[in-house]
Amino acid sequence: MTVFTFVAKAGDISRIARIERAGRDGEGLLTGFQRPQIAAHIREIRDYLEKPSAILPNPIVVAFLGRAHLEPPARPGAASRRLVIDVTDGPPGWIVDGQQRFTALAGLHGRDFEVLVSGFLCDTEEELQRQFILINNTRPLPKALVYELLPQVGDLPPRMSNRSQAALLTEALNYRTGSALKGLIKQQTNPKGVIRDTVLQRVIMNSLSDGALRLYAGDDALLLDKGVGLISEYWHAVRTVFAADWDNKTPKDSRLIHGTGIVALGYVMDYLNGVTGAETRDEFAKGLRLLRGKTAWSDGEWDFGSERRRWNGLQNVPADVRQLTFYLLQVIKTELAAQARAA
Amino acid sequence: MRFIFADSLDTIDPGYDFLADRNGAGRTIHRDDQYPHEFLDDAPYDGILVSRGIVGDARHPGKYSEAQLMRFRREGARRFLRYPETRFPGSMMMGDCGAFTYRNLPAPPYSAEDTAEFYADGGFTHGCSPDHLIFDFDEPGADRSITDVPEDVRNRYEITLQNAAEFYHAGSRLGGGFTPMGVIQGWSTASMADAARSLADMGYDYLAIGGTVPLKIDQIRRVLAAMRNALPSRVRLHLLGFGKIEELSALEEFGVTSFDTTSPLLRAFKDAKKNYWMRTPSGDLSYYTAIRIPQATENNKLKQKALEGSLNQEDARLLEDAALKGVRAYAAGGATLEQGLDAVMDYWAALNWDEEVSPSRRADAAAKQRKVYADTLTDRPWEHCGCRVCREAGVEALIFRTSNRNKRRGIHNLHVFHTHLSEFRQP
Ligand SMILES: [Zn+2]
Repeated sequence: MTVFTFVAKAGDISRIARIERAGRDGEGLLTGFQRPQIAAHIREIRDYLEKPSAILPNPIVVAFLGRAHLEPPARPGAASRRLVIDVTDGPPGWIVDGQQRFTALAGLHGRDFEVLVSGFLCDTEEELQRQFILINNTRPLPKALVYELLPQVGDLPPRMSNRSQAALLTEALNYRTGSALKGLIKQQTNPKGVIRDTVLQRVIMNSLSDGALRLYAGDDALLLDKGVGLISEYWHAVRTVFAADWDNKTPKDSRLIHGTGIVALGYVMDYLNGVTGAETRDEFAKGLRLLRGKTAWSDGEWDFGSERRRWNGLQNVPADVRQLTFYLLQVIKTELAAQARAA
Repeated sequence: MRFIFADSLDTIDPGYDFLADRNGAGRTIHRDDQYPHEFLDDAPYDGILVSRGIVGDARHPGKYSEAQLMRFRREGARRFLRYPETRFPGSMMMGDCGAFTYRNLPAPPYSAEDTAEFYADGGFTHGCSPDHLIFDFDEPGADRSITDVPEDVRNRYEITLQNAAEFYHAGSRLGGGFTPMGVIQGWSTASMADAARSLADMGYDYLAIGGTVPLKIDQIRRVLAAMRNALPSRVRLHLLGFGKIEELSALEEFGVTSFDTTSPLLRAFKDAKKNYWMRTPSGDLSYYTAIRIPQATENNKLKQKALEGSLNQEDARLLEDAALKGVRAYAAGGATLEQGLDAVMDYWAALNWDEEVSPSRRADAAAKQRKVYADTLTDRPWEHCGCRVCREAGVEALIFRTSNRNKRRGIHNLHVFHTHLSEFRQP
């Protein structure tokens, strides 16, 4: 099969190639192969392309099945050849890869990008479909690795920037001297950690949107200073108050290290900060001690009033996280009210 | 008569960009969004109703995210909704359990105790006892006695009364700033009157009438009349989920103190025709139909067609773009009414193309739709309203497309309805 490459603008590409989405004709036969446009994806690409620094290094792939040919080289051994395309009956080529990019480019005002086009000529439709499948059957990067890379990269789509801030704080908590969680967070690059990075990121994102970190959201410097400080102080307090359930434990033998406990305790942090104003490890510990004797992190049973649950009966599912959080907050609230009455 | 708005996170992004169809730069969900009382110059209601079913709790997720749920319980309703008493003096902050969300369960998932807890955390001024919906309703003269109704109906009736009895005590611990409201459920006017009397005997002096959503206005009138006969005049009445808002006079006549509804907001995008509200000089509500120009790549109907291969998405996008430009050009005076309508109807035709339908029927439907849209565009209603929605969004608020436009139109409707209600009160 002949493969070639050239440079063109979106408007030129639309004259020689089209997007043919998978569908059925009148007889029920399958035609085309592309999936429909993904609006959010296209918008993200367009937002990116509107930035002055934008580049589009990967090519749009176009296939021709007839109505296009390469002329013989002008002189023997010449590297470039002329591609001749017959557009009298409309664009004869198919966009095999890059339809979302191409659509984003087509809707772009003000900037006229030159993009690389990789083309090939094929003899049968079957060959065309095979190439489509092969080209589009790549495996995406593992999410955890993408998250870990995010803090290195500025100027990301908003969808990623919340996660990026959370990843930034997670990284700081895992590697900063004096951090309560130093070395304990399991990341792609720290497989020995015990607390899953995505779990801690969830705690941070919850707090960024609706909790104590809301104060610092949007300011990376402040987050890295005050934000990381606050979380570290809190987990210092957790480690001290629940030492027996923390030291040398793994998620398998303590729900305190497990997603369920970590996320629920994240809400406890927001509660203690919001209601008692706690910021230091001593202030947090004061609040956490109210839970002593009422927890079953690594053995025994939780008494949720309406039901009892074995310590390892709690799973990292939303219902269990809410159940545990409501219980912990209820205990603290009741104790705080009793203290207030006594005072 | 006080109008309470039943909220379910009905916010808009004030920085929404209509031309690019996207949120304002750097917008953060909820923090940067605005509730109707924040967006408009004056709050378009006299109080807000928040349901437990919407907020969610330990065992039942609601519409709030988990983090929002925790914040709501921590900070209370007024802070979460940014609806402080200081800025909205005398406003009601009312709670209920959202009986519709658990209508299919044998019993409410909430107890009197944990409901009072929810109201305490939320700092509510008013809260309803945990009720259970009854859907049956007897025609006049065919009242069944309690022994004649199915067991499920009887259970729901008794659970509602039992909960109310327990809730009266649980609620009284919340202090003087809180008014407990007993909820009435029944299958007939007589059973509802009996329930009302029992609730008044328990000590309630503010009752909420539930289960009236499916009732016709004459049934509601009969219920209200029965209430007034059964109750001492000191007892105030609230009508839960009042949808027949054209019939305010019925509420007035029977001395209803308050009612809640989402109708003005929801009809902006759930009603087939009555999307944009106006008040006529003679003091009635009148309506315009919003112009549907859905997003070609996000509309489910169009996506479906693209998946089947019966619609080319690039073509649809061109038609969509032309329709938007046509309406905007007409609004700005750069195109005639017919030009605007042509563009809108070209897209309409692609959107509603159905090969099963005969060409003549298709032409009839198109002509009818064109007339409806012509009425909206000819009168240019967005130029006759001074609310912030119309001032800022203009014709965009009349375009049926994306939640930010549709909810804006709903917020305009709230403004119109609240104005209508306050004028209505003055004879
Ligand atoms: Zn308006």
